[in-house]
Amino acid sequence: MWDTLIITPFINTILFIYTLVGHNFGIAIILFTLLIRLITHPLMVRQIKGAQAMQQLQKNEKWLKIQEKYKGDKEKLAKEQMALYKELGINPFASCLPTIIQLPIIFGLYQAIILSLASTPVDLLNLIRHIYPGLLKVESLIPLNSRFFWMDLGSPERLLIPGIPFGIPILVVLVVVSTYVQGKLISPPAANPKDQTAAMTNMMNIYMPIFMGYLAYTLASGLAVYFIASNLAGILQYAMLGRVNWANVFPFLKKAEETKIVKKKTT
Amino acid sequence: MKRSRLSLILLFIVAAMLLSSCGEMLSGTSWPGVSSNGDTLFVAYRNHVYAVRVSDGTMLWRFPADGGPQMFFAMPVLTDNQLLVGDYDSNLYSLDPNTGVERWVFREANGDWIASPLVVNDMILAPNGDHNLYALAMNGSLLWKFPTGNPLWSRPVSDGEFVYQASMDHHLYAIDLRDGSKVWSTDLGGAVIYSPTISEDGVLYVSTLARNLSAIEAATGNILWQRSFEENLWTQPALHEDRLFFGDMAGQIYSVSITDGGDIWTQNVDQPVTGQPTIMDEMVIFPIEEGMLIATSLTGERLWSITVDGKLFTGPVVTGDRLAVGISGGQNFLKLIGSNGSDIWTFVPPN
Repeated sequence: MWDTLIITPFINTILFIYTLVGHNFGIAIILFTLLIRLITHPLMVRQIKGAQAMQQLQKNEKWLKIQEKYKGDKEKLAKEQMALYKELGINPFASCLPTIIQLPIIFGLYQAIILSLASTPVDLLNLIRHIYPGLLKVESLIPLNSRFFWMDLGSPERLLIPGIPFGIPILVVLVVVSTYVQGKLISPPAANPKDQTAAMTNMMNIYMPIFMGYLAYTLASGLAVYFIASNLAGILQYAMLGRVNWANVFPFLKKAEETKIVKKKTT
Repeated sequence: MKRSRLSLILLFIVAAMLLSSCGEMLSGTSWPGVSSNGDTLFVAYRNHVYAVRVSDGTMLWRFPADGGPQMFFAMPVLTDNQLLVGDYDSNLYSLDPNTGVERWVFREANGDWIASPLVVNDMILAPNGDHNLYALAMNGSLLWKFPTGNPLWSRPVSDGEFVYQASMDHHLYAIDLRDGSKVWSTDLGGAVIYSPTISEDGVLYVSTLARNLSAIEAATGNILWQRSFEENLWTQPALHEDRLFFGDMAGQIYSVSITDGGDIWTQNVDQPVTGQPTIMDEMVIFPIEEGMLIATSLTGERLWSITVDGKLFTGPVVTGDRLAVGISGGQNFLKLIGSNGSDIWTFVPPN
């Protein structure tokens, strides 16, 4: 079921793109990532709107009153919160549901890339079984060209520079930086920087790049290409929706903004 | 707050381990490589190379003794009191076949050793995933290397003068053993996974991913005949006198003439046939992917069949009057059976 609905269509799409772009698997991964991002864009918009509504709610007077009034009675608090959600027309799952829907797509994409980069005969046999014979011709497709610039997309990437005795993991650096920048850019300004949600977001912004960097260091570089393309596409999507907080990455913008506000107030 | 930070770190560690192991599971696996000298079976599977006594299935040694990150799948090759075996980490080892002690390691290749080396005229011919065929002296020093366009997954064959190497780049190459120069190359129309089979009268028989079987003149590289099939051929043909034996992924098994590739007999076994059949005592044993061995006579009468727990990607290895079966992904990876399919022993490596 998982294979038929997710993995096989993904593999065929990525390989079809591969044939269209002159047998370049790196470009195929990037275009496929953009395609997936485009398809899941409406879900992302809903997620952002849901998150924004929840954030606004934290400042709502009624909400704050309820928190204070029923802080010793969790059951009653939950009941009152649900009533307020209903009254304001907010779906508390609106921000996480689209993420949950996207999860199988992300896992499917991960598996499709790994399967497409078959590096042994058994892997290749498995890959061939996923190919739609009506769409793609195995004889002209195999072997896949897994070279992309200096990388073999089926192996972890290391750039060998003459004179340096070890390979430098350039993609790992790019994955860490792009994950960190994306995390910072899309973090909404916290209503109260000391609250637990803000602290969690800050922690995520530190641990997530390390986690992604570890995966990029140990797994096939094709996945690192996917991570980078996905991060950049994510930043672009948020920027197009006007949800990017440039001041989180460039603090001088924040200072300039604050100076503007102060100036306005004084005049 | 400290607790939630710790939970988050733990969550990331678990996720990293899961994803890393998931990646490993999906990629980088193969079937056990088995060879025999009559008394001992040498098996390369996952983290070890094992030497197992044929008579009772006890382990004589394993390399490395304690295990490590290396992965071994290519069939170990015994020659001149050396056991040659490559891993999936670019190392080609020479081991003492009596003790498993390492003698030398060749580290100049950059890819996986998926195929086994071939030894001809005191020369080791080792195909690597980095697209090169390496020719080494018996002490592991490099003599020459021959580049092709794609990884080499099949073992070469030789007639003592030339070496014939099939590549994933769709070509079959004839290379001069003396200096590694190209004699000829022939485009077969598809990638080659399994080795060619060479006959005594100088004809190479090879199947490709283009679903064809070709007969090629070894002296010139000319295609003598080529036959197309409806289904994928995931096999090296087995040669016996004037006929070839093999099966396809739709479960059809064939006996064809070496003269023109025409059918002598065919029958359906309903399940994908993966790997080279084994010929023993006027009997052909076909490996079925889903863990079955089907034995027929040379004329196609069914003799016996057995089922094992796991998958089969190559035929059993003849050791005296018995057969050693290398099993992939099952509870056990090595089994010894009689020539009538009877169970003799199953190897269980000590902890």
